[in-house]
Amino acid sequence: MPKEVLIRYDRCLGCRSCQLACAVAHSSAGNLFGAVLNGEKPRTRIFVHQVGGYKAPLNCRHCQDAPCIDACIAGAMHKKGDGTVTNVGGEQQCTACWMCVMVCPYGIIRSDAEGTMALKCDRECRDETGIPACVRACPTGALVYDEVDDYSGRRRLDVLHRALSNV
Amino acid sequence: MRFVIIGNSAAGVAAVETLRRLGGFQHRITVVSDELTGAYSRCLLPDLVAGKSTEYSIRLRPAEFYRRLEVELLAGVAAVEVRPGEKRLVLQDGRELAYDRLLVVTGASPVLPAVPGVKAEEVFTLRTLRDARRLSALVPRVSGAVVVGGGLVGLKAAYALKQAGLAWVTVVVTSPRLLIRQLDERAAAMVERELLNAGIDFIYNARVKAFAAGPQGRLTGVELEDGRELPAGLAVVAKGVRPNSGLVEKAGGKVGQGIVVDGNMRTSLDDIYAAGDCIQVTDRLTGQKVNSALWTLAFEQGRYAAANMLGIARPYPAPLTRLNSARFGGVDVVSVGNLEGEEVLAQYDPLSRTYRRLVFDGERLAGFILAGKVDGAGVYTALVKSGRPAWAYRRQLLQGQVGSVSLGTLLEQGKKDLNRNCHINTAT
Repeated sequence: MPKEVLIRYDRCLGCRSCQLACAVAHSSAGNLFGAVLNGEKPRTRIFVHQVGGYKAPLNCRHCQDAPCIDACIAGAMHKKGDGTVTNVGGEQQCTACWMCVMVCPYGIIRSDAEGTMALKCDRECRDETGIPACVRACPTGALVYDEVDDYSGRRRLDVLHRALSNV
Repeated sequence: MRFVIIGNSAAGVAAVETLRRLGGFQHRITVVSDELTGAYSRCLLPDLVAGKSTEYSIRLRPAEFYRRLEVELLAGVAAVEVRPGEKRLVLQDGRELAYDRLLVVTGASPVLPAVPGVKAEEVFTLRTLRDARRLSALVPRVSGAVVVGGGLVGLKAAYALKQAGLAWVTVVVTSPRLLIRQLDERAAAMVERELLNAGIDFIYNARVKAFAAGPQGRLTGVELEDGRELPAGLAVVAKGVRPNSGLVEKAGGKVGQGIVVDGNMRTSLDDIYAAGDCIQVTDRLTGQKVNSALWTLAFEQGRYAAANMLGIARPYPAPLTRLNSARFGGVDVVSVGNLEGEEVLAQYDPLSRTYRRLVFDGERLAGFILAGKVDGAGVYTALVKSGRPAWAYRRQLLQGQVGSVSLGTLLEQGKKDLNRNCHINTAT
């Protein structure tokens, strides 16, 4: 079963470490100082939001029947073998028509700085152990990269129950 | 089982992929297409004309797609008759194909106004690769063009012709402003300004009386009903499309605003399914029967049809039939759902140079327009689609701060899913 970035809502402090790590991992320098020195303005693909007193990061859910794939007029958005939904690395090029932006219910597909292509979580940030940068960076363990098996499914539901009672 | 698919664009490709993904490789799939090439993106034809894309880059799937999915592609041959009684399909060249389940994804064709000269060789529509090739070939030999129609296709065509190097391009619009079906005045003005800056002219409240031809039969200009005559070496007509429902109609199938299908994409004929621009759908918001003529809908309907053809019952939920995204120069536009409603809130944000307009029916967000920057548009779309109470979020929505709205949505989704005992990692 493919792994997913799972969110343990009760642990997020809103520190935005995941945002920074995501942006840096997707910069061409690959590290913060290099990116800054190169004058790069790397963009994050994970976003920390707040509902009431409650914070949580949100990134691509890599949907089963992903609406962004249906909507992509260029045929660039596709699902890879490991379940990753991405508009890069396929046969076709993103043309920045924003159809995917229009249909993503989570609002996590954004434009790049130049407005020439859509950016989203592509899991190209995984380190040698296969852990995505946002998960690696999270100091409280609010982000977990794991298979959604029954065990963790139950745990997430439990976490969600508690989370929702706080909202 | 033998599946035959008539048509090879969005719905056809989605259906093929889904048939293989859910049904494996034991079924036989034949795709019949009246076009010579593999599937390509119609929406990108203007880019081809503009010289920004190549035929290679607008292909929808790689060349080995059909081989890899073990699909027999009969390209360049039209289907002329369906015999539902015999479960056979007759092709233009006399061949007959037997099918167990047939999928009709014949798309739509451009509507041409019934005016003199419309058949001239220099009067184009922009629907097929062939159209785009012919248009591109003529562009270097003329200096000016008239585009008839101020809708999305017309404006994209006009913009493309200008980028392709034509000295002047005039758009003739029947309505008092452009994109009347997608935008309000304010947003339309933003798009207009962008296009004016690109050097495109507009004539509003005008209709074409005739396409005038010179002594050699070549197009010389476009005559308007008010007597004006616009010189032009070529013209593009973009006055909407009409569903290609003829095959099913001739075979005795029910047709309304397109081929009538039930909730499982079945036509009124046994074992014949239909999807995409050729069918009629019920608008999710208005309940009206309308022609489904959107790329996104064609793709998702292709998926639903394929699942149903395999016997996996998958009811198709009523879609949003107004769902458009486009960009003109520095202005991106997204318009979804109803343009008018009980309560309309609108605001221009000078910082992000973005105009946002929200249409509410009671608590429900029934439609919206974003013009300028469109980040987060999907969050609005999800609210329109789900009908979830959104009035409480109006301030954030108007200011484009949709992060908390989407998180709230996700948490609510999680709450719902808790009862269904599954995880929240799937959308739609």
